[in-house]
Amino acid sequence: MVSIQYNPVTSVIAEELREIVGERYVIFNDTEKLEPFSHDEIPGKGYRAMPEIVIRPRTAAEIAEIVKLANREMIPITPRGAGSGLSGGAVPIHGGIVISVDRMNSILEVDLKNMMIVVEPGVIANEINEHVKEHGLFYAGYPMSLETCFIGGNVAENAGGGKAVKYGVTSRYVLGLEIVTPTGEIVELGGKLVKDVTGYNMVQLMVGSEGTLGFFTKIILKLIPRPKYQVDLLCLFDSSESAINTVPRLMTGSGYIPTSIEFMDQASVKAACDYLNESIPYEKCGAMLLLSVDGMEEEQVIREYEAIGTLCRECGAQEVYVADNASTSERIWKIRRNIAEAYNLFYPRQSGEDIVVPPASIPEMVAEFRRLEQKYCVPIPCYGHAGDGNLHARISSDPNWTDEQWEEILPQILAEVYRKTAECGGRISGEHGIGHKRKKYMRTVVSEEYLNMLRVVKRGLDPNNIMNPGKIFDL
Amino acid sequence: MRIIIPIKQVPETRSVKMDETTGTVIRQGVESIVNPLDLYAIETALRLKEQYGGETVAVTMGPPQAETALREALSMGVDQAVLVSDRAYAGSDTWATAYILAAAISKLGGFDLIVCGERATDGDTGQVGPELAAALNIPVASYVNRITNITGSWCVADRRLEDGEEQLQITLPAILTVVKEIGVPRLPTLDGKIRARRTAIPIYSQKELQLPENRIGLNGSPTRVVKIFRPAVARQCQLEFGGDDRQNEQAVAKLFAFLQGREVV
Repeated sequence: MVSIQYNPVTSVIAEELREIVGERYVIFNDTEKLEPFSHDEIPGKGYRAMPEIVIRPRTAAEIAEIVKLANREMIPITPRGAGSGLSGGAVPIHGGIVISVDRMNSILEVDLKNMMIVVEPGVIANEINEHVKEHGLFYAGYPMSLETCFIGGNVAENAGGGKAVKYGVTSRYVLGLEIVTPTGEIVELGGKLVKDVTGYNMVQLMVGSEGTLGFFTKIILKLIPRPKYQVDLLCLFDSSESAINTVPRLMTGSGYIPTSIEFMDQASVKAACDYLNESIPYEKCGAMLLLSVDGMEEEQVIREYEAIGTLCRECGAQEVYVADNASTSERIWKIRRNIAEAYNLFYPRQSGEDIVVPPASIPEMVAEFRRLEQKYCVPIPCYGHAGDGNLHARISSDPNWTDEQWEEILPQILAEVYRKTAECGGRISGEHGIGHKRKKYMRTVVSEEYLNMLRVVKRGLDPNNIMNPGKIFDL
Repeated sequence: MRIIIPIKQVPETRSVKMDETTGTVIRQGVESIVNPLDLYAIETALRLKEQYGGETVAVTMGPPQAETALREALSMGVDQAVLVSDRAYAGSDTWATAYILAAAISKLGGFDLIVCGERATDGDTGQVGPELAAALNIPVASYVNRITNITGSWCVADRRLEDGEEQLQITLPAILTVVKEIGVPRLPTLDGKIRARRTAIPIYSQKELQLPENRIGLNGSPTRVVKIFRPAVARQCQLEFGGDDRQNEQAVAKLFAFLQGREVV
């Protein structure tokens, strides 16, 4: 590991930055206003770090100037979207400059002929859909935080979310990027092209790079025809096992691919339903699956959901609820979306895991979490995107434990979780990213040779290690 | 026991936009759902059926596509549904609607109870339930939040009013309009949906009901919409600042006097 020597942001440098973006858009020497930029949505305080200065530029040219200054002065830069991340990607662990994209929030172009949209990184993900809805188009990225998260962060983390089973993750829709490189050049990658093999696939290298390889200033996204009909099914099962074992059968047995297959175990369901005062009879159920089906023809969607719902009943579902309008749909999706919130209320210390395994290995992973729950006497509610093998588990500390106890036990649990994940051929993050939260566990699932490849790329593009240093791996 | 549930199809309010110039709801392209408050009426009827046995029938008046609302009711567990639909009924206000619904319900045969939602989220009048009672000449209890007992000829219901709660014992057949506290509506089930799709829904049109023309549609509607406007909300905010003990005391005294002046404390 190379030790990094960065320089502090002096008032002279702050002045120079003010000149680039304008005085109003710089936060300096104001702990209270800097504090919100010291963390993302990871529960607890363990992964926080204060920036020395926060800048809110409006243009790529301004960012290029800031990046050049940072290289000259050896000051680290951390790009920041909405701060809704879950791995510390936007947290400035070496202090320095945080560049917030909140002012770069324009939808630049809706290209109907090409079915593409060009946006700036600070656009809220959901706004894209609101914007293209009237044209019968649809952006299929659907992170759970869609009403707050920025598209720039979605691309940087390669966000997945609820519709990935059918529509894939963010990367599938990113066709082009304008970036400011870690050395301060403005470069266009890809474009409005469905196919492009002109050199390395630099666009996809950038997607999921967690702000370590470049600063996105323009994003070209592919749009698809908007499905006219959607029906959601909420299926109640006796146990996690029976719910989870249904998933592989759904994919192979029904002949249809649902848009979403969300899994919630008993603890998750109970926490969310209590939190929401939901009255569905969840006490008797051990787990739920939330399935969505969508399409252009109503009859087709009905056929699909009846087939999928009937298969769930055959696999032992106690009950299958159907939501075929927006208000009922909202009622059942609320349960899934409020699990994290509900758990934050009851458990002050948690570790939100985001493992991903081949979809057929999900039952094995759920069983492992149950075993660890018993072994360490900690609640580990599991939920997530069962259909694509991505499981969220919130390892929660006994509220009576001390911080020290928790710090001691958590790494032991994580080591076991990741060992099992590796055994299944999985990885430690499916959609939340590595950041600085998970980097010490990288070696449990990837080889040193693999990490060395990443290091070569990073050193090549960012010789001074200025862009979001200390994330994903150590140089 | 036979329970009738009159329901209404309304635009999904979260996606509703207003036409700024006419002040009316833009209905085009907006999804229609069962009036959310009618779901509580359906839930009430289903619970009563579970407790006392019998049959539940949903009825709605509206264009042919209102059938979707009836199928939703069926999928929640309602036994039968009837659609009242005819071009001649278009433009009916609450009075004419109640008159037409009363005729349709009479044609359905006998009943013990009619359960309505408190009001619809689009028109927001809360009139059809009580007007239906007038048209059928039966007693009505509005704003019911609990049904404590039903015997052969009586129903005991609690209703929530501005200044307290009331318990009414009313003779059956009767109409109850229910509020949200009555019980959270159940979700439609897969079995319910499949059954709902296969259930035939009879349509009562003018041919079946044969209602006099001066009682239906615009002709039968005494309501005239003279003007639609957005009420101006006037809020006067007065800030009192504290600081040291004396300033705090003064601020509290002023707040207290303000509340006393309005008989709040």
